Amino acid sequence: MFGIAVDGVAYGMILFIISVGLSVTLGLMRVVNLAHGAFAMVGGYVASYAAQTLGLPYAAALVVAVALTVLATLPLETLLYRRIYGHANELSQVLLTIGLTFVIVACVNYLFGPTLKRIPLPDALLGTVSLGPKAIPTHRAFVIGMGAVTLLGLWWLLERTDFGIRLRAAVDDPAMAAALGIRTERLYMATFALGTGLAALGGVLGAELLPLEPYYAIRYIVLFLAVVAVGGAGSIFGSAAAALALGVTDTAGKYLIPNFGEFFFYAALILILFRWPHGFFKGRTA
Amino acid sequence: MKPALLEVEGLSKNFGGLQVSSDISLSLHPGDRCALIGPNGAGKTTFVNLVTGVIPPSAGTIRLDGRDVTRLPAAERVRRGLIRSFQVARLFKSMTVREHLELAVLQRDGRTFRLFASVARVPGLADEVAGLLDIMGLGAVAATPVGSLAYGQQRLLEIALALAMRPKVLILDEPAAGVPHSESQRILDAIDRLPKDLAVLMIEHDMDLVFRFASSIVVLAQGRLLCRGTAQEIVADPRVREVYLGSRAHAH
Amino acid sequence: MTAAATDRAKTDKTAAPAAAPARRPRDLGWLGVPVTAAAGLAAFWLFPEDLGLLTRILATALYVLSLDLVLGYCGIATLGQAAMFGTGAYAAGIAAVHWIGDPLALLAVGGLAGGLIALLTGALILHARGLTLLMLTIAVTQIVQEVANKARDWTGGSDGLSGIDPAPLLGLFRFDMFGRTSYLFALAVLLAGLLVARRIVRSPFGLACRGVKEDPLRISAIGGSPKAYLVAMYAVAGVFAGVAGALTAVTSGIVGLDSASFSWSAEALVMLVLGGTGRLYGAVLGTVSFMGVHHILAASDPFHWMLFIGLFLMGVVLFLPGGILSGIERLGGLFRAKGGKA
Repeated sequence: MFGIAVDGVAYGMILFIISVGLSVTLGLMRVVNLAHGAFAMVGGYVASYAAQTLGLPYAAALVVAVALTVLATLPLETLLYRRIYGHANELSQVLLTIGLTFVIVACVNYLFGPTLKRIPLPDALLGTVSLGPKAIPTHRAFVIGMGAVTLLGLWWLLERTDFGIRLRAAVDDPAMAAALGIRTERLYMATFALGTGLAALGGVLGAELLPLEPYYAIRYIVLFLAVVAVGGAGSIFGSAAAALALGVTDTAGKYLIPNFGEFFFYAALILILFRWPHGFFKGRTA
Repeated sequence: MKPALLEVEGLSKNFGGLQVSSDISLSLHPGDRCALIGPNGAGKTTFVNLVTGVIPPSAGTIRLDGRDVTRLPAAERVRRGLIRSFQVARLFKSMTVREHLELAVLQRDGRTFRLFASVARVPGLADEVAGLLDIMGLGAVAATPVGSLAYGQQRLLEIALALAMRPKVLILDEPAAGVPHSESQRILDAIDRLPKDLAVLMIEHDMDLVFRFASSIVVLAQGRLLCRGTAQEIVADPRVREVYLGSRAHAH
Repeated sequence: MTAAATDRAKTDKTAAPAAAPARRPRDLGWLGVPVTAAAGLAAFWLFPEDLGLLTRILATALYVLSLDLVLGYCGIATLGQAAMFGTGAYAAGIAAVHWIGDPLALLAVGGLAGGLIALLTGALILHARGLTLLMLTIAVTQIVQEVANKARDWTGGSDGLSGIDPAPLLGLFRFDMFGRTSYLFALAVLLAGLLVARRIVRSPFGLACRGVKEDPLRISAIGGSPKAYLVAMYAVAGVFAGVAGALTAVTSGIVGLDSASFSWSAEALVMLVLGGTGRLYGAVLGTVSFMGVHHILAASDPFHWMLFIGLFLMGVVLFLPGGILSGIERLGGLFRAKGGKA
């Protein structure tokens, strides 16, 4: 039972780290980015290449992966995404980002091949840590810790920094923010970088739970979207709560009621969105 | 006197502690041409939204043709003949003028759930639409998509749309807003050609237009009905002067 | 008419030259049915080896057409059209295995099932907009797929439902091993679908739906209920999608879980947008080009295909927002303009 809970929370944290990036970009730029899963996948592949082929240590591979993914995707913001920001463009957003996903999947397959890729864990993450009478696999503990750090870091970034104040102002009232001289273009770019960075981070950390293969980008995007829809676009704590709930129920479902986990999950999703169309947590506060 | 088509009694609305409409009573009879005026923030738009059912009132009743409609949703009031035009033209940009009128007439007759009929062959539709086009002088642009129509013509189409729904009571919310003064005469001409038994309430800033249109004028100030009378009576009323020129009165 | 009124009519004419070229592109639409029929028959003679693929293309075109009714004429952005297609396919497939042999009756079963599921889910989810609606449509599809996966006794689960062996069409034409009957049957059903769809979009109902697409609030203001139109059109499109699913089941003899998948929904969207939305024939053109190119490219390596379609999709969104048909229309306009000058 305890093991299920730990696995569920770790899985939820991975979902949170990846989805919150999507949530922030959706909240600010109003863009339904179906290529977000592809960005996470790119992060994972870069880390795998850095660790396995170049022999970098895990931490360095992680940093390189996040940095490279952000650098590689920033031009996309300027060239592609900037044209489709805003409410009215859902259909263009869906199509453009599906197209981008396909291209990334094809490129990843060309560069790295269709086989499953691993990111070897350092010895430090292989054992277990004891927590009172219980023992937790170190990797799970590490993932949960990183999730918590991400949550706190984002909270600090949005609530306590100048960037956060501008970001929240722009989310609440874009026209007013522009009138106040907030340079939305640079803000969008920074937020996009933040979003892809988080995706890449989640892709690397979660490689054990969401295995890296070229169809990763398509396979898991529905999960990430579900977290955002339930958590409410732009809500950090909403994403965290939704991701953890999803992670725990999905993991518990796999062990306890293996046949109907997914079914219950989507049925619950429909009921929640029926009652709170802007997300469970947004719906509560608003 | 014929029975009233629209009777509003004691209509009030508060938002939180703010009283935006208080105790407004007003009745319109067949053939009435009534103008609703008042300074900015007098609560004219709120009043229209209350009457048409966009927002629910805090107190008061609204009767349409003798029936209480206070609790009915907006679309149901429309079906019963309480029709408004919009201050800013709200039209379907890619549809033609004719298609707008066809849609309004079909909707009014409850024929819009016919899936396998052809619009072109609905009996009587073409004639009725032609009549509406004629009244509003829009015949020449019938096949033009509304997106490429001049603004004044869009305003005329707004009125034609309202008319297509066979209103008993027609509320025109600043029908000439945004139209150059030189062209507002055309809109007034069109309003003159509306069926005589209709009760029309027009919200308008342009006093020139109001005096030419209205047989009676209602003045709203600070959410209250100040007075109702003919143009001469309103002009002569000191309270109206105070409301419009009023800072002196408030100074002490 | 008074003198003033005639004057006004005159100035109207001079003031609005835009009135003249108001011919709707759809007015040439009747050509689509004979052109599709001719092209379909030509393909029958030209590619007798590929009738299996061609039949799949025709059934898919009907499926994409159903999405056009929803997206092109009501403005509902959905990633859940496969829920209706899959429901229709499974309903027809199960009926064929257990009870019914007649292919036309199987299409009716599929259409009914697709329409019912669309009506039920549409009434539940169509109040939503944007991302929420996209998520809800995805969720519905996932549930349908999950039910099909778990009801293994009926659907065959992940192995797929096989053993669909329909009786001769109209009691006369056997479904032969070369797929000739299947192909001509599918072509006939697609043509019938096009005719009915064309009828619907030109009906009073179709007009009202176009109004909802442009401005739902204005529809309320003339006394209509936008959601009622949306749900009704969603259900009508569900019937089309269900028939398309049944047609696929009848002609291919098998129904798989991927017929109710997220990616099958997404592919329908891609095909429709390639061809152009809101035109009916865009659905046919988009399906033929998508699946044709897919057949050629995916034969060598599925990833080449993904690269191609991905780049193509991005190009369409950025440079040709109306799809292939609008590109052709624009080219046509260009030629006409040149011809006029010469």
